[in-house]
Amino acid sequence: MVPLENYLVLSAIVFSLGVYGVLARRNAVLILMSVELMLNAVSLNFVAFAAYLDPDRIAGAIFAIFVITVAAAEVGLALAIVIRLFRNRSTSNVDEAAIMKW
Amino acid sequence: MGAEQAWLLAAIPAGMFVVLALVGRKLPRGGDYLGILAIGTSFVLSFFVLADLLGTEDKLGPITRAIDWTQIGNFQLRMGTFVDPITVVMFGVITTVSLMVNIFSVGYMKGEPRYWWFFAVLQLFAASMLLLVMADNLLLLYISWELVGVCSFLLIGFYWEKRSATEAAKKAFITTRIGDVGLLIGIILLWREAGTFNIHEIISYAEGGHFSSTYLFVSMCFVFLGAMGKSAQAPFHVWLPDAMEGPTPVSALIHAATMVVAGVYLTARLLPVFEVADGTTLIITIVGLVTAVLTAFMAFAQTDIKKVLAYSTVGQLGFMFVALGSGNPSAAMFHLMTHAFFKALLFLGSGSVIVATHHNQDMSKLGGMWKKLPVTGTTFLIGSAALAGVVPLAGFWSKDEVLHSANTEWGVWALAIAGGAAVMTAFYTTRLFIRTFMGEPRDAHVYEQTKEPGWVMTGPLVFLAFLAVVSGLVVFHGVGKALGFPGGVTEFVFLEEAERYSIDWGLAALSLLISATGIGIGAWMYWGNSTRRSTSLATSYPRTYDALRNKFYFDEAYQWCIDRGLLGFSFLVSWFDRYIVNDTGVDGTAQVTGFSGYTLKFLQSGKLPNYAMGIALGVVVLAFAGILVRG
Repeated sequence: MVPLENYLVLSAIVFSLGVYGVLARRNAVLILMSVELMLNAVSLNFVAFAAYLDPDRIAGAIFAIFVITVAAAEVGLALAIVIRLFRNRSTSNVDEAAIMKW
Repeated sequence: MGAEQAWLLAAIPAGMFVVLALVGRKLPRGGDYLGILAIGTSFVLSFFVLADLLGTEDKLGPITRAIDWTQIGNFQLRMGTFVDPITVVMFGVITTVSLMVNIFSVGYMKGEPRYWWFFAVLQLFAASMLLLVMADNLLLLYISWELVGVCSFLLIGFYWEKRSATEAAKKAFITTRIGDVGLLIGIILLWREAGTFNIHEIISYAEGGHFSSTYLFVSMCFVFLGAMGKSAQAPFHVWLPDAMEGPTPVSALIHAATMVVAGVYLTARLLPVFEVADGTTLIITIVGLVTAVLTAFMAFAQTDIKKVLAYSTVGQLGFMFVALGSGNPSAAMFHLMTHAFFKALLFLGSGSVIVATHHNQDMSKLGGMWKKLPVTGTTFLIGSAALAGVVPLAGFWSKDEVLHSANTEWGVWALAIAGGAAVMTAFYTTRLFIRTFMGEPRDAHVYEQTKEPGWVMTGPLVFLAFLAVVSGLVVFHGVGKALGFPGGVTEFVFLEEAERYSIDWGLAALSLLISATGIGIGAWMYWGNSTRRSTSLATSYPRTYDALRNKFYFDEAYQWCIDRGLLGFSFLVSWFDRYIVNDTGVDGTAQVTGFSGYTLKFLQSGKLPNYAMGIALGVVVLAFAGILVRG
């Protein structure tokens, strides 16, 4: 049995990597991937706590499945936007798409 | 038709007002015959009301009829009419004078623009005044009080193409409005304590001593302010002479029947309450005396016929207030009645002169008119003699009553002042008559084209002259009895303390002496068309003469107060509104919003990493904040 702390530390590392990716990357696809990393870190937390607190109840696992579903929908939408952006500007760099401002 | 249906008296002219206002323009002759018909019907009906009142079991008890008007919380408002001897006297005065004025106007207003509208408003005027005198509660009274004010505004400003007429109408409306605000405050104060608007309930509440004396004094002073404004008592007298800008029949109506006597009526109606409120009767007396003397002085130096008559009206109203202040409402109502007849006569007479001389009302251009206008001149002489107090005309008896009550209640000083005012009244009345009708014509051109107007105008004069001669006689017990009243006017008008009129020979002699003195001085000064004596008097006291001619500078003083006080205050208010409310409050708020929006919009850079950093930092800050708060 792997102790809970290991899962939490792994989850924190993955989440931080995701945050770093969102803040540091300029490529829209990479930013999306970093967002997915953050979501997966959260899912990992859910599953780990669910198994740790009461192995018979699977509420945490169900939450993880919801997160995956929402993430899939989000990626579907976001990739469509990225494709439109690329078609229009021939780039997926988010700095190039800065016209939505004051 | 009994006294319960007295509301019909007001409803018929009011309905006719609606008809004339809507279709009068299209009717032949502007529908003047309909107006005369309506007011004539009220005139006839007033006799039925009188007969019913005289026929009731408990002699002369009030006959009331009221309906539930509305209910607010626990407060039940009942509106209704109320007929008692005072009301009936007022009915008689109002309908008689209105009818005469309506008939006279057919001749006087012939060919004027808005002829139909004139007759329409005359109906509304009579209707509102009739409603005023039969209102059984102060709220209804106040409504009709304001209606009367509106009608006078409309009629004084009838020639609204003339700037002076609109100014006079505004002045009348605003001056009386100052008093009206007082009346409204007074009514509210009375209601707050007594919990009712009903006049009789308020009177019995006051007589039961339920009001604290200071409270009652203050509220009755406010009520009296309303009466002073409406009846043009000093210092509100300024509007009445200016009201001469209206057509002359309107002046007759305002002065005799409908407008100015409302204040006298109100005070007479509430006199039991005034008597409970210590000190108010003295105020009423003093206001009356001051007004009587002041306006008599002002009348000395006027050359406009109508202005002289206007000042005499204010003075006679002062006499009525003296009678009221002396606790003798029957004398006041009696003087009101006789005054209404002879003053209507004098005004209509002056209207007849104005028409005959093609709109000339300046005495310095008239003179010698008696030969040309025999009917007008004779009736005018009767009216003037009645005003001056010549025995046995109407004015003598009523003025004698007023002097008598002032003497009994307040003693010699009041009698002396009132008597002095009466001497002056007799003097300027004589001056008015001699300068207009006697001597040699001063303006040959005006004299040449003067012609007696037709019977439609002289008829009412003759009728009113008849009343001016005989109406004073009703003071006697025997005369009242013969006419079917339970005695003379004194016993009729005031139910309690029914007192037979007994002539006080000493006072009657004094009264006679007063009018003889006034007339004598007037005749000595102006007889034979000579202005030598009066001119030398005016030149030897130029300052006094100027003060009289300028009406003691009341108008100038008020104008100064308005310019300095009111406009100065208005300037402050407008400054506050412009710079504090508008620039700082309204515009300031908008500018703060606009400025902050302008500054904050630069946060929206359009760069995705900036937003992401914002979110991340926000989470971190919130997390730390949460840790700090939770401890």
